Amino acid sequence: MTPPKSTDPNPPAIEVHDLTVSYHAKPVLWDIDVEIPAGKLVGVVGPNGAGKSTLLRAMLGLVRPASGWVRIHGEPLKRGDHGCGYVPQRESVDWDFPVSVLDVVLMGTYGRLGWFRRPGKREKDLAFHCLEQVGIVELAKRQISQLSGGQQQRVFLARALAQDARVYLMDEPFAGVDAATEAAIFEVLHELRASGRTVVVVHHDLQTVEEYFDHVLLLHLRLVAAGPIETTFTRENLLATYGGRLTLLDEAAEAVRRGAAGGPGWRPPAAPKR
Amino acid sequence: MLGLEYNTAVVLAGTAALGLAAGSTGSLALLRRRALLADALSHATLPGICIAFMVTGSRSFAALLTGALITGILGVLVVVMISRRGKIREDAAIGIVLGTFFGGGIALSGIIQRRGADAAQAGLDSFLLGQTAGMLLSDAITIGVIALITVALVVLLGKEWKLICFDPDFAGVEGWPVRALDLLLMLLITVTVVIALPAVGVVLTAAILIIPATAARLWVDRLGPMLILASIFGVLSGSVGTVISAGTAGLPAGPVIVLSASAIFVVSLLFSPRRGIIARARSRVAQRRRQERRRLLGSIYEGIEESHVPMIGEAELARRRSWGPGRMRKHLEKASRRGLIVWGSTGIALTDSGKTLAEKIVRDERIWQQYLLSQAQIDRDLIDLDAAEIGQILPKAMVEELEAVLRAKGRLPGAAAIDTETPGGAS
Repeated sequence: MTPPKSTDPNPPAIEVHDLTVSYHAKPVLWDIDVEIPAGKLVGVVGPNGAGKSTLLRAMLGLVRPASGWVRIHGEPLKRGDHGCGYVPQRESVDWDFPVSVLDVVLMGTYGRLGWFRRPGKREKDLAFHCLEQVGIVELAKRQISQLSGGQQQRVFLARALAQDARVYLMDEPFAGVDAATEAAIFEVLHELRASGRTVVVVHHDLQTVEEYFDHVLLLHLRLVAAGPIETTFTRENLLATYGGRLTLLDEAAEAVRRGAAGGPGWRPPAAPKR
Repeated sequence: MLGLEYNTAVVLAGTAALGLAAGSTGSLALLRRRALLADALSHATLPGICIAFMVTGSRSFAALLTGALITGILGVLVVVMISRRGKIREDAAIGIVLGTFFGGGIALSGIIQRRGADAAQAGLDSFLLGQTAGMLLSDAITIGVIALITVALVVLLGKEWKLICFDPDFAGVEGWPVRALDLLLMLLITVTVVIALPAVGVVLTAAILIIPATAARLWVDRLGPMLILASIFGVLSGSVGTVISAGTAGLPAGPVIVLSASAIFVVSLLFSPRRGIIARARSRVAQRRRQERRRLLGSIYEGIEESHVPMIGEAELARRRSWGPGRMRKHLEKASRRGLIVWGSTGIALTDSGKTLAEKIVRDERIWQQYLLSQAQIDRDLIDLDAAEIGQILPKAMVEELEAVLRAKGRLPGAAAIDTETPGGAS
C-alpha cells in the first residue's frame, strides 16, 4: 500500500505503520507500528521465528505486506531508488559464484551507475576504500569461495558501505563470525552512526545487545517494545518477548551474574534493568 | 577453408556461431540455475515444430522455428505457473512439462508420418537428433545474426545479469527490475535453444548450453573469463562435431557436437588445477597427512604427559593410533627427519622444537574441546585446527578463560612442562 506523504519536515529514519505480513494466512508479522529515529544504532531482537528478518525485508520492500506501509525518511519505498544499504544473511547467496571480492563490493555502486555503464576507476577506488574500512583490502582479488565466514560477512558489509546510503539494514551480521570480524563490524557500525546514518541490525545474542546498540526493538510476531536500551531492554520486556523460552533467559541471567560478580565472564554485559 | 566443400563451410559457420551463443547464454542459465528449465524448454519446442509443419505444409526454417519458439515459451510459462500457483516443486513441474510437451510432439510427428509425407519425415527427424547437412546459407546467416545479437546483449547487460544471478534480493533493494531482467534472460535462453534445434536436435539442445559452461567454470573463477571460455568451448564443440559428422555417413550432427563438448568437459573435470578431480584428490591426501602428522605429535605428547616418563614406547604409541605399522613408521621417519622427535630403540621422545609444536597442537585441541563443552552459543564453523592462532578466531578473553579452565584441570600443555630427554640408544 502506498503511504500518505509525510508532513513532518524532520521525519524519522524509518516509519512502519499497520504492517502485517503473512504466509498462507499465518501471520509472520502482525500489526507492527514503529518509528526508528535517525542516527541511531538499533538492534532488532526476538526468538527464532519472531519475524525479525521479515521485518527487515518488509522495510526493504522485498516482501509484499498483507497490509500497512513503510516510509524511509518520509518517502514511500520506490523502485529505482537506492534508498537503503543492505547486508543480507551470509547464507542467502552462493559463495561458489564466479566473482572476486572486489566484484561483489562493486555491486554496491551499480545503483548509482545505472544501466549498461561499467564500474570505472572512481567506483574501484571507492570499493577499495570500503574494503579498507572493513579491514580486508588485501583480499580484493580473491575468489569469494576462498573466504572464511567472517571474511564473507565483511565483504557484504563493504558492499553495503559502497552503496553510501542514509539507512542501513543488516540481517544477523554478527552470526558465526570470528573475534576480529566482530570487532571490525562493531567499529564500522560506530563510524556509520558518527556520520549520521541510521543502522538497524537483526541480532541474536542477548548478551551483547546493551553493548552494541542505542535502541532496541523487541519482536515476537507483534512488536513487544521499542525504544532506548535503558528503558526498553528490561527483564519484564524480555520475558514478554521470549515467553516460556527460559533457558535462553537463564543463560543471559547467568552471564549477567558472572559479569556482576567480577568472575571470568568474557564479555560481561550490564544487568538488565528491572 | 581446409578444402571443405562450400556446403560444409556454410554449416561450419552456422554451428560455430551457435556454439558462441550457447556458451555465453548457457553460462548465465547455469548461474541463474535454469539448466533444467532449458532442458524442459527444448523438449517443449517439438509440438510447435510439428504444428507449424501441419499448418504451413512446408519445411521452411523460419516457420518451424517460429512454431518451436511459441510452444517453447508456453512450456516455460506452464512450469512457472504450476510451480508457483500449484505448490508443486519446480523439478517436478519441469519433469511434467518436459514429458507432456515432448510426448505431444512425438504423437503429432507420428500423425504427420502416417499422412505419408516422406519429405515431412526427413524434415522432422532432423529436428529430433539434429541434422546439419541440409543447412542452407540463409539458415546459417539467421543463426549467425541471432548469435551475434545474443553475444551483444550479454556484453551490454553483463553487469545487470551478474547482479541478479548472484543476489537477486540485493538487486531488488537497489531498484533493479529483477523480474524484467529475469524474463529477458529467459527469452535469450529460449532463442538460443530454438536456433540450436535444427543442428543439435530437441533431445540434446540443453546439453550444448550446459556442458561448455560447466566445463569453463572448472578453469576460471570470474564471470567474464567464464563467458569467454564457455563460448570458445561452444565454438570448438560445434565445429569439431560438424566436421566429424560431415565426414562420416549416417552420423547425425547433434550427438557428435554434444559428445565433443562432453570430451572437453571430461578433460576439464580431470585436470582443472583447483576444481579438477585429480587436484582435489591431491589436496585431500595432503590434508589427511597434515592431520595425521598433528595426531602423531599430539599422541606422543599425551603419552609422555600421562606416564611422566620423557618418552613413549612404539607399542604404546601404536595403541593410541589406529595406523598400521607401515604408516606409523613412515610418519615417525618423517618427523624424525624434520627434527621433531628422537626415535631410538627404547622409544620416542620429543626434541625441543617437537615439544613446542606438540604443545601448541594439544593446547589448541583442548581449547576447542573446552569451547564446545562450555560455551552456550556454540559455533562449530569457527573450529579450525589448522589455524595459526586461536586468538585470531575467538575473543582473547574467551581463550584466556578456556585456558584457565584447562589449567585448573591440569590439562593445559606447557603449564607443567614435560621433559624432552633423549631416550637411550638414540639412533
